[in-house]
Amino acid sequence: MLRFIVRRLGLMALVLFGLAAIVFLMAQVVPGDPARTAAGRNATAEQVAQARERLGLDEPLLVQFGRHLSRLAHGDLGTSLFTSRPITADLADVLPASVELVLAAMLVNLLVAVPLGVISAARRGRAADLAARLIVMFGAAVPVFWLGLMLQYLLAAQWQVFPLTGRLSFGVSVPERTGMVTVDALLAGDLGAFSDALAHLVLPAVTLAAPFVAVVARTLRSTMISALDRDFVTLARAKGASEWRVVIRHGLRNALVPSSTIIGMQLGWMLSSTVLVESIFGRPGIGAYAVNAVLQNDLFAVVAVVLVIGVAFVIANFLVDLVHLWLDPQLRRAGV
Amino acid sequence: MAAPPVPPVPLVSRRRRLRVGDWLERAAVVVAALVILVAVVGPFVAPHDPYRVALDQSLQPPSAEHWFGTDADGRDVFSRVLAGARVTLLATFVVIAVATVIGVVLGTAAALGGRIVDEILMRICDIGLSFPAMILALGLAAAMGPSLESAVIALALTWWPGYARLVRTLVRETLHAEYVDAARSIGMSRWRLITRHVLPNSLDTLYVQITLDVAAVILVISGLSFVGVGAQPPSAEWGALVAAGRNNVVNGWWVVALPGAAIALTAIAFNLVGDRLRVRNDPTLGNGGKA
Repeated sequence: MLRFIVRRLGLMALVLFGLAAIVFLMAQVVPGDPARTAAGRNATAEQVAQARERLGLDEPLLVQFGRHLSRLAHGDLGTSLFTSRPITADLADVLPASVELVLAAMLVNLLVAVPLGVISAARRGRAADLAARLIVMFGAAVPVFWLGLMLQYLLAAQWQVFPLTGRLSFGVSVPERTGMVTVDALLAGDLGAFSDALAHLVLPAVTLAAPFVAVVARTLRSTMISALDRDFVTLARAKGASEWRVVIRHGLRNALVPSSTIIGMQLGWMLSSTVLVESIFGRPGIGAYAVNAVLQNDLFAVVAVVLVIGVAFVIANFLVDLVHLWLDPQLRRAGV
Repeated sequence: MAAPPVPPVPLVSRRRRLRVGDWLERAAVVVAALVILVAVVGPFVAPHDPYRVALDQSLQPPSAEHWFGTDADGRDVFSRVLAGARVTLLATFVVIAVATVIGVVLGTAAALGGRIVDEILMRICDIGLSFPAMILALGLAAAMGPSLESAVIALALTWWPGYARLVRTLVRETLHAEYVDAARSIGMSRWRLITRHVLPNSLDTLYVQITLDVAAVILVISGLSFVGVGAQPPSAEWGALVAAGRNNVVNGWWVVALPGAAIALTAIAFNLVGDRLRVRNDPTLGNGGKA
């Protein structure tokens, strides 16, 4: 088991190094001269040369890469050309909104996908199964940005069930502690603000969750079907256990271990999908920040977002592996 | 083969079940073929010029004249969706073709090239598969300067590791097949052995994966355009169409709804076709995979 963890840690270090290299290369392929960009539009040749020296752009590529690594290790992601602030500070401001959204989407995902997968497996081949599979088929193919716009149009603009954009209604505010508005509202004991924040969270969370619901429901269905075909299920039935007890206690419990890996990995995927969702609903998170940076041609900020989401993704997957190891005794014994 | 004594009642219900699935799959094949046809002939059959601006026709709702209505610049949305099929599908095709070529070459090299080559290539694949392709492609495309070409190149460069790993596994399996041993024993050259026997016989599974990936690539490409690093206005790329309509969604839902529906419908069709191929290709999913 220790060997497995050490190997995973080694792989993680390699992957992070690869990510740093990719991000460094991204900054190299920029068309135009970064020194000129940094020096400003009306800079003289002398000022450009100064900027080049200041940024270390006149040094060999390998030296530049070394300096790039050391800056990353110190948490220095550069300065945003658009906000003129350190990108690390920018990201610290926007990340809580994205974490809040991802956690809410994960909740929606589980609340919808688990019953869908269970019903689909338990009523295999019946109408309920067909309906569940149609939902899955749609969820796997719908473009999230389009789903977001449609939900916003129908449920917010037309029928006004939910607010259009933002995180809180006009005039409502909560003292900031975690940066996650729902949590902050609860901490302040302001239930009105909490329900307001929650209402603002529903549409983005449902939109973000849709494609992930499809994956979880489909995985759960197939793992549950193979679990329900096993001998211990036949035994439970023979002992006279009720059908729902069989499905939940024996089917679902045994299907949850393989599904938990996928669900855990989805946290990283969801964070990257915020790029498609947040700007639609005017949520100031890391995805909206990335889109804004693209529009403003703020390449360092774009690259920093790629890096941060990449790192979050790698760490999330490592944690998932650890949890999986803990959940599945067979893996531990095999010493994979 | 003698008919086994099967009770008739469950057989009937199973047949009925098959019919729903079969009907869906056939419809999917038809839709996928239709989308490809539109991609080829779309611009010729479009009722209006997809790029002609007519500001006096701005945001007309769907009608007999404009089936999908008009956008904020008065362009016919139906014609733009038809024209966009070519843009979106061609971009998808190029991404998959380039990724497949890289994947087949590097995957084969990893399978045949000895331990060191294998180790290096597979660790590179590990790195590539460790991140969502979309976020890497977003950064690369932004760095190269936002355009459909950038998005296509960026996505192809991030999509191949999956293929390389699959091809490596498939080639390794095929290498030990008896007919390959036989060909080797009659003194066939290594190159001929690989191109004539190993690759053709190992790639069936790859084709299935490619079909299943069409929908995923369409979604990512249109997503990149929507975010602004892919196709730029006035391109009729489907994601760009949705992006162009998003600010007018309250006055003109059709500008967003109908191009997006085209994306969803196409993705559903290719997913179903891919599933069908997967089931046919996989002997372990007997019973037509209808379990």
